[in-house]
Amino acid sequence: MTSSISRAGFLRLAALSLFVVPAQTRADDNEITRDMILNDPDAPTAGNPNGDLTIVDFFDYNCPYCKKAATSLEKLVKADGNIRLVYKDWPILHETSIVGARLALAAKYQDQYLPVHHALMDIPGYGISQEQMLDAVRKTGVDQTRLDADIAAHADDILRLIKRNLNIAEAIGLQGTPGFLVGAYKVNQALSYEGFVRVVADARARAKK
Amino acid sequence: MPYVRILGFVTLLLRLMAAAGPVLAATPMPADQAFQLRAQLDEEKGIELTWTIAPGYYLYRDKIVVTLDGQRVRIATEKGQPKDDPNFGMTEVYHAGTTATVPAELLPEKGRIIVTYQGCGENTICYPPIAKTVDMATLLIAVAPEDNEAVNRPGNGSSAADISTWGPSPADGAGAESGMLGGSLLTIVLAFLGFGLLLSFTPCVFPMIPILSGMLARSGSRLSLTRSFALSASYVVAMAAAYGTLGIFVAWSGENLQTVLQTPLAVLGMSALFLALALSMFGLYELQLPQSWTARLATSAGNRGSIGGAALLGFGSALIVGPCVTPPLAAALVVAQTGAVARGSLALFALGLGMGLPLIAFGVLGARVLPRSGAWLARVKHIFGFVFVGLAIWMASRVLPVALTATAWGALFIAIGLYFDVLALFEEPRWRSASLARAGAAVLALFYGCVLLIGAALSDYGPLQPLISIGAVASSADAGSTEGFQVVSNEADLDKAIDLGRRQGRGIMVDFSADWCTECRLMERNIFAKDEVRQQLRGMLLIRADLTHYDLSSKNLMQRFAVVGPPTVVFLNPDGSEIKDARVVGDIGVDNFLNKVAKAWRA
Repeated sequence: MTSSISRAGFLRLAALSLFVVPAQTRADDNEITRDMILNDPDAPTAGNPNGDLTIVDFFDYNCPYCKKAATSLEKLVKADGNIRLVYKDWPILHETSIVGARLALAAKYQDQYLPVHHALMDIPGYGISQEQMLDAVRKTGVDQTRLDADIAAHADDILRLIKRNLNIAEAIGLQGTPGFLVGAYKVNQALSYEGFVRVVADARARAKK
Repeated sequence: MPYVRILGFVTLLLRLMAAAGPVLAATPMPADQAFQLRAQLDEEKGIELTWTIAPGYYLYRDKIVVTLDGQRVRIATEKGQPKDDPNFGMTEVYHAGTTATVPAELLPEKGRIIVTYQGCGENTICYPPIAKTVDMATLLIAVAPEDNEAVNRPGNGSSAADISTWGPSPADGAGAESGMLGGSLLTIVLAFLGFGLLLSFTPCVFPMIPILSGMLARSGSRLSLTRSFALSASYVVAMAAAYGTLGIFVAWSGENLQTVLQTPLAVLGMSALFLALALSMFGLYELQLPQSWTARLATSAGNRGSIGGAALLGFGSALIVGPCVTPPLAAALVVAQTGAVARGSLALFALGLGMGLPLIAFGVLGARVLPRSGAWLARVKHIFGFVFVGLAIWMASRVLPVALTATAWGALFIAIGLYFDVLALFEEPRWRSASLARAGAAVLALFYGCVLLIGAALSDYGPLQPLISIGAVASSADAGSTEGFQVVSNEADLDKAIDLGRRQGRGIMVDFSADWCTECRLMERNIFAKDEVRQQLRGMLLIRADLTHYDLSSKNLMQRFAVVGPPTVVFLNPDGSEIKDARVVGDIGVDNFLNKVAKAWRA
């Protein structure tokens, strides 16, 4: 994949968004644009920011298969080196899911989203208690006072981001967690490492056309 | 060969799933398909909720929750299999199926329970909690209104204590519904009171006058005003109570009938019954109980002239007397259909009260106050006849095609218009303002009826829409934004659809779509669901070519129009040839899409 930077939005989704979005910027809250999905400035990202392929990960901190799949996905993102990863916290499974999402998204304000995210994803299983989550977050060494302050100060922003994520997931017809957008493909299930390798290859091949 | 890659993708998924073990479709199925809920009533045990779980999917035992009015109800669940994944700890899950029992003693006769449950597909997907309502009376299962509190109740304490509830539009949930119920109850009662008052001027109430006057006469030579008021009032209230009881009785017995009453055959039958009632109102025949019953009641009961006796007499005469079987029967049938006991019986009570009000006036003031019987009285009956015909059409509209329903409404309105105009022209040559107003209303009804008929005749879909929104025609269909598409998954079906377009001379839009295609979802939401787009597409035959399952049929479908992959929208002339200029690849935004549609129309 030696495509030039001018084709950074290489996959069709992005290519089309470059084409369409500037032409008509609508102030319609209900309209879900590709830009909202791929380039929400508030959504945490990882991987190569200039990667030729973007993968959007919809997950829940109470979703056992998200956790399994995430391990494979992160491994691939690292190995591939040319993938941009967008995290969409999508707390739908359990009462405590929203707690986890808030903790992680609030940690973003001290640039600690990824450590907190991984700490929460590393608690195995389903039905994680709030105490377990807080415990895991404490062990990451984030500034606890700052985190509490950010949760309070940015409560509205975080809520809005989560709502945006909910709307997007609904709009693209995700049934449950995990959900991945790999280029033009929607994958609404957990994949193995090999599975991700294949989808990524297919998405790149399709985007090239 | 672009589709080779898709083939690769799909086979990849298939291989993955084969490796995972359980039998799965190409993509996880919708939650409602994976977990199918049924409710059954067991006289002794209570309500049995049974889930059929698709192979490869499972439900969590501890996530099955039943609530009634926001209170959690204790239920009996079966022992589940421990999830063998060490990650899950002590979680118990169900495979294949399970049954939970809601004990009978905890349930009210009527109302709805909310059942929430949650599960996953093995190794693939976890669904958000699913909430369904189960109607106690009918055992019908419906999607529960969004209630984020039940699902996302925030945790207590800790640094994240101020977690507020969130979620999609909490405003349009249960609160709005309860408001609506409260508001319309008064309207219903007032409306039925009015109906009753109208009915009292029909022969309905007249047989009761001799009964009442007989009672009053027997109770003593001289009655004070208050005494006669008390007597006639108790007579009337008891009569109304009899109707109310009838309502309760019908609604309760209707509970079991209700599901049956929803079948097309039953709906048509009821509609026919209403037509028969209407004909009786037009005077073709009389529905009446034997005269002897009435006579016996008048002489036997209520001789003493006490309040209790008057009440007894009122109760009895309501059930037995006169030609008044029809209106309460009609009302009772409506009640049975809706199945709302309290509301239904209250409405019937109001009906009886309305019917009795003139009786009270008569009892207190004597015969002078009652209006003279005459031709106008027959007219009131006729109006009820029209109302019954309307009810018949309304009922049948649920099973009849829209065009036919509209025709029926049109005919009814024309008939009403003619009826009043003929009256105005011949029977009342005096041009009083009242009759003028009536004639005007009748002309309006005539006009509206004609419009409905024309609408029904012109087309089976398009021009009818605005009429539906104006008129009383029930529009239950065409609510969904992606409705209106005919889905095809192979070339033969596509050819059939194109052939239909050719015969009807309609342009055709073929939308190539697939479940796994994100952009297709976005297009459905951002483009096809938009009003302005639907407006432009009106009159076109809409076809959705489903490429979800990659096989020979979908390959042929794509090859037919050299489609690279979804989303692609192809416009065809009525003769089946493609309008090449108008082809749409990818989500191009509403404005660009509308340009393409305009091109297709010009071609």
